[in-house]
Amino acid sequence: MRTSAMVGAGILAAVVLAWFVSLVVGFDVVADVDHTQANLGPGGHAWLGTDHMGRDVFWRLVTASEAFVGPSLAAGVVALAVALPAAGIAGYRGGLAAQAVRYLFTVLGSVPRFVLVLLACAIYGNETVVIAVAAGVAYAPALGEAVYTRLEALRTADFVDAARAHGVSPASILWYHLLWVSCRRLIGRHLLYLFGYYLLLETTLGYIGDFGVEEPAPSWGNMLAFEFGIPDGNVLAWMAPALAIWITILGTVLTASNLAEGRRG
Amino acid sequence: MSGGSAEDAVAAGRLVRALVLRTGWFLATLLGAAFLLQALLWAAPGDPIDLLPNGEELRADLEEEWGLDQPLPLRFAGFVSRGLQGDLGNSLTVRPGASVVELVKPAAARSFRLLLPALLLGMSLALVLGRLTAGRQSALRRLVEVLSVAPVFLLAYVIVIGLNDVTFHAMQSGWISRPDWFALPDQASSLRTAIAIAVLAVGSSSLTELHAATENEIVQIRESGYVEAAIARGGSPEKHEAWNLIPPLSSLASSRVTFMVGGLIILEKVLLMNGAGALLWEACLRRDYNLAMGLTLCAALVVCGARLLGDVVRVVVDPRLRSQA
Repeated sequence: MRTSAMVGAGILAAVVLAWFVSLVVGFDVVADVDHTQANLGPGGHAWLGTDHMGRDVFWRLVTASEAFVGPSLAAGVVALAVALPAAGIAGYRGGLAAQAVRYLFTVLGSVPRFVLVLLACAIYGNETVVIAVAAGVAYAPALGEAVYTRLEALRTADFVDAARAHGVSPASILWYHLLWVSCRRLIGRHLLYLFGYYLLLETTLGYIGDFGVEEPAPSWGNMLAFEFGIPDGNVLAWMAPALAIWITILGTVLTASNLAEGRRG
Repeated sequence: MSGGSAEDAVAAGRLVRALVLRTGWFLATLLGAAFLLQALLWAAPGDPIDLLPNGEELRADLEEEWGLDQPLPLRFAGFVSRGLQGDLGNSLTVRPGASVVELVKPAAARSFRLLLPALLLGMSLALVLGRLTAGRQSALRRLVEVLSVAPVFLLAYVIVIGLNDVTFHAMQSGWISRPDWFALPDQASSLRTAIAIAVLAVGSSSLTELHAATENEIVQIRESGYVEAAIARGGSPEKHEAWNLIPPLSSLASSRVTFMVGGLIILEKVLLMNGAGALLWEACLRRDYNLAMGLTLCAALVVCGARLLGDVVRVVVDPRLRSQA
């Protein structure tokens, strides 16, 4: 395993671990407010110090993983549900079905993802589930196009002809031989990109405010926005979320690019 | 008619056919995007009348005037027919009563002045970096990746903080007097615009993707048979490389526009700039559906227009693509 792959996988594993810890511990972000402990530096009481409201920066950092890990998984499920059946059938059958599906992907892809998410928030409400579904739908054309292109190239491959000659059903050929065996790395790579995209989206919304996770619930974006510029504040209160965003996206990119260099699928 | 002119006529016919087909695809996509937006609004809980303070009193009249009592296909047809006459309705909450088209036009023009330079800067950097690193082991590649993965808001934030802090300390030490642009991003300045352009060109993996794709194209061209043949005949490989890079680079540039439009919205909010992106944010926040739809359609027009332009350049430069149309 290459060093960059190990670094990337290690970063992602740490983020997922933080998510599990947060779900298990159930840290109370409201009860943690203690103005007498505001802006303390790192120490035994709080590993990364406290923010301007006396809240533990480390635990807010861990709890903020809930804002994007779960929703990004939901967005992945939505993207798969939208893209795979359409791209699978279009890639396997070709013809008019393929033209229709590609047109739909082109139309959906003509609206920038961020615009589609904002529009969905405006119309259907600023809920995490709305943002996750909108992100999944907005990402579906990229995933669908990639899968379609791969399947189109493989549709007439020898192993597909051989499977047909052995009487394997079209559904098995499509779902097992083509999508699972030949496209799983490609799909995995796109799901990682979607994870990175969702993190970027969530932290951006949190940073700017108005949409996404709102205080007192922590997001790496709103931690950064709220803590910078506090006089005599704890530098780690804004630097830690900034580095967390940067490093996690880097981990996603490193893992995805190593997955791209794999031999099969 | 001589053989040469007959071949020219066939080639010209193919070119025209390819251009017509791509223009048709562009129009069909734009129409599809308009339908998608109308369908989103149609499926929404409630309607724009709910946003008006005296909406319930005027509901019957407004439903008829705005076509809200009609089924989706008729609403869509009405939207398209009004849109073709340059009428996308009036703003509901951001600037109540103001024409959406009149609000969108100047804001889009301001945003375009950021988008186009950012795209050109990103492509130029990618080309320079691609030529430096193509086919070589290079630490530069990893450096670009590490810098470029930062989200645009974070990159803008770090630059603004860094500049303000360094300037503040320099002012306190008496080394410099207060520059015009100090206390970024509060006031408009050419420095703020330059930061926005640079961040848009580099951030959110923009430069990484442009660089990687350019590098890949350069390697493929350098390894191709026609370049080897040109070198064997004493020709210049650079000339072939430059010409054959145009089709993939135009395709790459047009695909990046989609992502840059998203980045533009974020940057205009973070750097307090009043372009179409900031206006869209405001329209979505205040649920000004008409304005949000107008701006989204404008974004789709830019994305589809960029794709069409990229396609036209590819078809004009590469004759092989004409027969695939």
